[in-house]
Amino acid sequence: MTATDELRGLRDSRAKSKPQNKAAFWFLLPWFLGLFAVTLGPMAASLYLSFTKYNLLQPPEFIGFANFERMLTDERLHSSLAVTFTYVLVSVPIQLALALGLAILLDRGIRGLAFYRSVFYLPSLLGASVAIAVLWRTVFGTDGLFNEGLGFLGIEGRGWISDPETALSTLITLNVWTFGSPMVIFLAGLRQIPAMYYEAAAVDGASPLRRFTSVTLPLLTPIIFFNLVLQIIHAFQSFTQAFIVSSGTGGPVDSTLFISLYLYQRGFGNFDMGYASALAWLLLVIIAAFTAINFWASKYWVYYDD
Amino acid sequence: MRPSDRLSRRALAKAGLLGAAGAPLLTSCGIGGGGEMVLSDEPVELRLSWWGSDLRAQQTNEAIAAFQAEHPNITVRGEYKEFGAYWDGLATTFAANDSPDVVQMDEQYFKSYSDRGALVDLNEAAEFLDLSKIDANLLPTGQVDGAQFALPIGSGVLAFAVNADLFAQYELDLPDDTTWTWDDYAAISLELTERSGGEITGSGITGGVDVGSIRYWTRQRGNELFAENGDVTVEPELLVELWEYYLGLIDSGACVTAEQMVEDTGAGVEGGMLATGRTAFGQVHNTQITALRKGSGADMRLLQLPQHDGTPANFVKPGMYWAVSAGSEHPAEASLLVDFLVNTKAAADIIGTERGVPANTEILEYLIPQLDESDRMAVDYLEATVPGDPLVVVPNGASNVNPLMTRLGQEVYFEETSPEDAAEAFITELQGEVDAAK
Repeated sequence: MTATDELRGLRDSRAKSKPQNKAAFWFLLPWFLGLFAVTLGPMAASLYLSFTKYNLLQPPEFIGFANFERMLTDERLHSSLAVTFTYVLVSVPIQLALALGLAILLDRGIRGLAFYRSVFYLPSLLGASVAIAVLWRTVFGTDGLFNEGLGFLGIEGRGWISDPETALSTLITLNVWTFGSPMVIFLAGLRQIPAMYYEAAAVDGASPLRRFTSVTLPLLTPIIFFNLVLQIIHAFQSFTQAFIVSSGTGGPVDSTLFISLYLYQRGFGNFDMGYASALAWLLLVIIAAFTAINFWASKYWVYYDD
Repeated sequence: MRPSDRLSRRALAKAGLLGAAGAPLLTSCGIGGGGEMVLSDEPVELRLSWWGSDLRAQQTNEAIAAFQAEHPNITVRGEYKEFGAYWDGLATTFAANDSPDVVQMDEQYFKSYSDRGALVDLNEAAEFLDLSKIDANLLPTGQVDGAQFALPIGSGVLAFAVNADLFAQYELDLPDDTTWTWDDYAAISLELTERSGGEITGSGITGGVDVGSIRYWTRQRGNELFAENGDVTVEPELLVELWEYYLGLIDSGACVTAEQMVEDTGAGVEGGMLATGRTAFGQVHNTQITALRKGSGADMRLLQLPQHDGTPANFVKPGMYWAVSAGSEHPAEASLLVDFLVNTKAAADIIGTERGVPANTEILEYLIPQLDESDRMAVDYLEATVPGDPLVVVPNGASNVNPLMTRLGQEVYFEETSPEDAAEAFITELQGEVDAAK
């Protein structure tokens, strides 16, 4: 049967079985309900609210673009953006480099690979949880595990989380620590690279480093790109870690005030939900812009094999 | 792969939640839709929410059980959180028209809720809730234009807690709190740090990062944080002076460092540096002495705050309130519950003074003979306090004054902002919030 025959067959069968369309509709309905009730509806509502003054307890009042104008002069917003960008731009590259490095090590076909893979993946499952954030606060406190470890080395520690100079670094460390999910994707990507390229390179006398830079890396660029986009989006949305570690304040001295945390504070702490909604849309636009830039730049460095 | 779909869904999950929550409000025009003020014969379920320590949770649940025993058709579900999380959560439930029936209110938030029509006027519940025994000085602190939107249930006074065990250990006499000044406090704290050889620090940071200490400090100098009309009237020079005073204490070693302060804030009364014997002084409300003594096992005492020119500046603050949500479907039963908690000996036997020295004068008299040592300390302290002028309640819009103070105070103590700039920022930001709510 040729492809055309196959298509024709499909079309015929579709025409014959109208009841199946109905069935499909019913099967899709829960998903549609979810999409409208939990995603699109609330998004539309928050878009509307971003043009209002809304204190949660009284009906919202339309104020045009005032919330967006206010962003220009809101110094706390600016400092929260600086914190967020630092967090994203520092933690994502380190996290991906670590993930790639370990994926290459694990790809050597060591014994007990499944075990190691699971162990390294575990933090990704736990990283954004409240429990880990609480643990982090304890580990990096003045009397915490980390300082005790330093004590063995004869280094005197400090309150890593209570010092504005180092508080953000502890959160960056936490994000880097969740390298497991990009690592698993890298592992899958490495398995896709045909062995014949390596064989050919080896025959040509390429050193291991040369094989890595000329075979592995170029063929892995689509995977790197995928991980980069995903992890940037993920990092921009970080909330739980900063919320728990700073007890909701974004402190000390706003050093861990992510924009997500700031919009939460405005909305729920200051009864300022209109502005908070506008901030949520600002975050959306920022993430969309980063993603767009990523896609545009990918033309210049991502190599597709096919 | 369509990452932009993913991100929009997740980036806005939080805002989205609110949107879903707010949607019914758009049509129903604000809080309301509560039930009628009559008792029901049917089974009724109420929700009661509060913030506070484990001890409070335990006592409140016991009181709930006693109330349910008296009213078999009413079931009460208690919900409690830590102070900060409590307010975030409460605002959300109100927006969702899913507020608890009875809520514990605070002086800083009371107007933000009542001015926006979120609370029931308890005068309407006169049939179920007796207000006549409440201290006449405290009752008005829950009123707006004659409407009783919240019922003050206890009073609290700012105090210094001191660990007398540490004074004994380092062979120092406790200061005479009827005469001591801010200079004395600084000197004694430093002496403690020095005598202990750095084993302990004399004092925690007892001011400049919370609204209570600002009020006390400015009132000692003839100034108020707010005017009756809600305007911010604090003089920036006084804020500067307060912050510089504490910077001096931190610098000398009399007080803990800013890092230690931040760490301590997250630890709570029972786990903080004062309770664990690492500092000898801390700032508390008089009724927290019970939790503090229980948590530390040490000989904790209460001291009057240091003086300045003998001006009485402390204030009896309505420690907290009970309020009934305007959205409650069972306001009558909710009022009954409040009545039980505030006006009955059965509840007083369980709760004691944990929520403040009771505002119900009869209950207070009933309790005095049977108070245990720490409760008696709290009551004695309140009686020994010479308050200044009545306190101006935190206006609508300014309910975030405490977090604001904490943030700016921390900036100053970490020496990231000068006291002058922080004082200016404090006034500008706070006035901005008040104006925005008008």
